[in-house]
Amino acid sequence: MIRRDFMKLTGASAALGVIGLAGCSSGGGAGAGGEGGGELVLGLISAPMSFDPSIAEWGNRSPYYQAVYDTLLLATPEGEIEPYLATAFEYDEAETLLTLTIREGVTFSDGETLDAEAVALSMNRFKDGTGPDAGYMTYVDTITATDATTVEVAFTAPDPAFLNYLTRTAGLVMSPAAVENEDLPTNPVGSGPYTLDTAATVTETTYTFLKREDYWNPDVQHYDSLVMRVFQDPTAMLNAVRAGELNYAKLSSPESFAEAEGAGFTLNSNELDFQGLLLFDRDGELAPALADVRVRQAINHAIDRPALLEAIALGHGTVTTQVFPTTSDAYDEALDDRYPYDVETAKELMAEAGYADGFAITMPSSAALGTTAYALIADALAAIGISVTHEDPGSNFIADMLAPKWAACFMSLEQNPDWQLTQFMIAESAVFNPFGSADETIAGILADYLEADEAGRSELIKQLNEHIVEQAWFAPFYRLEGVVATDEQTSVSMLPTNTLPNIYDIVPA
Amino acid sequence: MLSFLGRRLGSGVVLVFAITTLAYLLLYLGSGDIARRILGQTASQEQVAAKASELGLDRPIWVQYADWLSGAVTGDLGRSWFTGQLVIDGVTTRLGVTLSLVIGATVITAIVSAALGVWAALAGGWVDRTIQFLTVLGMAIPGFLIAVGLVLVLAIQLGWFNATGYVGFTSSPPGWARSVTLPVVALAVGGASAVTQQIRGAVVDELERDYVRTLRSRGLPASSVVFKHALRNASGPALAVLNVQFVGMLGGAVIVEQVFQMPGLGQLAVGATTQGDIPIVMGLVVATAIIVILVNLLIDIAQGIINPKVRLA
Repeated sequence: MIRRDFMKLTGASAALGVIGLAGCSSGGGAGAGGEGGGELVLGLISAPMSFDPSIAEWGNRSPYYQAVYDTLLLATPEGEIEPYLATAFEYDEAETLLTLTIREGVTFSDGETLDAEAVALSMNRFKDGTGPDAGYMTYVDTITATDATTVEVAFTAPDPAFLNYLTRTAGLVMSPAAVENEDLPTNPVGSGPYTLDTAATVTETTYTFLKREDYWNPDVQHYDSLVMRVFQDPTAMLNAVRAGELNYAKLSSPESFAEAEGAGFTLNSNELDFQGLLLFDRDGELAPALADVRVRQAINHAIDRPALLEAIALGHGTVTTQVFPTTSDAYDEALDDRYPYDVETAKELMAEAGYADGFAITMPSSAALGTTAYALIADALAAIGISVTHEDPGSNFIADMLAPKWAACFMSLEQNPDWQLTQFMIAESAVFNPFGSADETIAGILADYLEADEAGRSELIKQLNEHIVEQAWFAPFYRLEGVVATDEQTSVSMLPTNTLPNIYDIVPA
Repeated sequence: MLSFLGRRLGSGVVLVFAITTLAYLLLYLGSGDIARRILGQTASQEQVAAKASELGLDRPIWVQYADWLSGAVTGDLGRSWFTGQLVIDGVTTRLGVTLSLVIGATVITAIVSAALGVWAALAGGWVDRTIQFLTVLGMAIPGFLIAVGLVLVLAIQLGWFNATGYVGFTSSPPGWARSVTLPVVALAVGGASAVTQQIRGAVVDELERDYVRTLRSRGLPASSVVFKHALRNASGPALAVLNVQFVGMLGGAVIVEQVFQMPGLGQLAVGATTQGDIPIVMGLVVATAIIVILVNLLIDIAQGIINPKVRLA
């Protein structure tokens, strides 16, 4: 009797299991067919900041903004900058006035018309905003709509990187009617190819976008809907890839590349970031030894770049001594042989500089960059007498680095287009030149660059790169391979100027 | 009863105030340069200072806390510093996911542990030893390992369930079942093991009591003796353990939601804490504190209903 009643109880338990299994069939698959339309499911590693374009950020967040907004100009996989919302763009001779001609017949998803006033409003909001990319507008003086299709941007000084900025956050245009919307951070209104389906969106986790039927450029709408899923955990991303739940995945860990390939995905890569030592303290404020160029050169010689590439990034990258990308006019393949791994030469340079017995230096570490690199760097520098102590500032890693609290650090930085790169890590006021290092050669080249024509700029940037390498301002190790994996139904063309491709360049295979 | 509820709710309000004050202080002390983290590495120091000013981070901590508290008592928990989303929206849209997991795991824990606990207590012998061995194993294996194993075998290799993500019940009940089954099982294994041990021990103790012998001698059916009397008396300690397990599962959901990429409170907590998104973390603290206080209250009421010896006054 007891047994019979007990069986009733366990039967109820089993029934619950059956209910669960009743819903089971094959795992949720992703994807559109090879003929287009359907749904594209993307796995991304960052959620967007606010959808308010005045504080937007590009890089790993670009797909969200590109889905709902258009940019004034378009960066292409070939490395060119082409018209988009702006059908034409032209500088005056002094490069202090940019005239943009705005495309006619474009509407926002709320039905409002996109015109020069709307463009000027968005650009001015971005200029006044406090977003990560607000520095793009540093040299912009005024932005004015002079008629319905013309916007004039006046500069306080030429900014050769500005056109590139208009292919990203500085070029995003929103509906003027949405400016006062309280839900603007989570409910964008743009002129882009898709609209955000807020009912099917969970902020910071899943974003669903639906195709706009009245989009002005249907040629770039390859799917009926886009689902962008954010993965905080690389293992979860890989599980989703292996279970066939994604068509496209941004892989952040080299360990996952082979597994994604094993799951039938194609690896699409570019080399946008370099990793290496940033030898910030070139005037020797915190570490007097770094003021001597021979010490900085010795550090470069002490690095076994191929071994570090293999150990840290499993060989996914290309060794280099340069901070400029291969797509830059500045890049010179021969310079990559300037500092071969040679401990004896390094020791001689240290001795010549008066540091035969070495010196001690403290550098920051961050869990975000793994642990392998720090041990290998410490070993490499110990071989020439430099004793490295690493300290972890936790979440203040960047803030303390730029304070600046350390003379040098291991870091991963983006290799931007030429002028943008100089303003990011070389110019006296550059963010990643926290000690404000400067020399006459660099200052002269940067001043001449603004006055020169295209051919002249090409030559000047080459000279700058050569000088930086010779002066060992940095000790780059390698350019890191950035990978987007796509399934057999999807193909993609990567950009040389952004970690992720344009959403327009993700197409059915 | 009413005075009991009033007292418990009053102490709950005080508790929420104390928890939020402490949480705000700890978050503030450990938050570092939030404006820099929001803006990333490309922003200049001037931009960082402007962002800090915009968010009010340049004000004294007590002013910031008073500002937050005055909003919170009116139901305005502010906006995320990173996404601009209203905190109340961020928490409520994810609450359903986490409650799906935790309530599902609690129900399974209750049913499975009652079944296994009673079976082990009644059957004895190898059944008892096997169940005891399995429950020790269930308590020893970390939940995240169980989760990873379930994903690898049942989702990736066999394709029976979703490896990641959440499907709302209203949009597709079968899809919902496919998405929550593995996380619920991963969450329930540890809890069910602990509660099974508790029920087994309590039932064994009850069956040895004099009143059970008396009931049997009066000819009551064995099922009535076990389920109406012994199990009822044994349920008090079991409910207390279940209460602890429920709170533990809220914490365990953090890991499980990471593994299964579920858009729940745990995932939000990890992201917001890592970033230093204090408004979101504070919203989560408030929500979690309220849930725990309410569950405690419900368990107390249930104890009173099941066992009249427990007074609610």
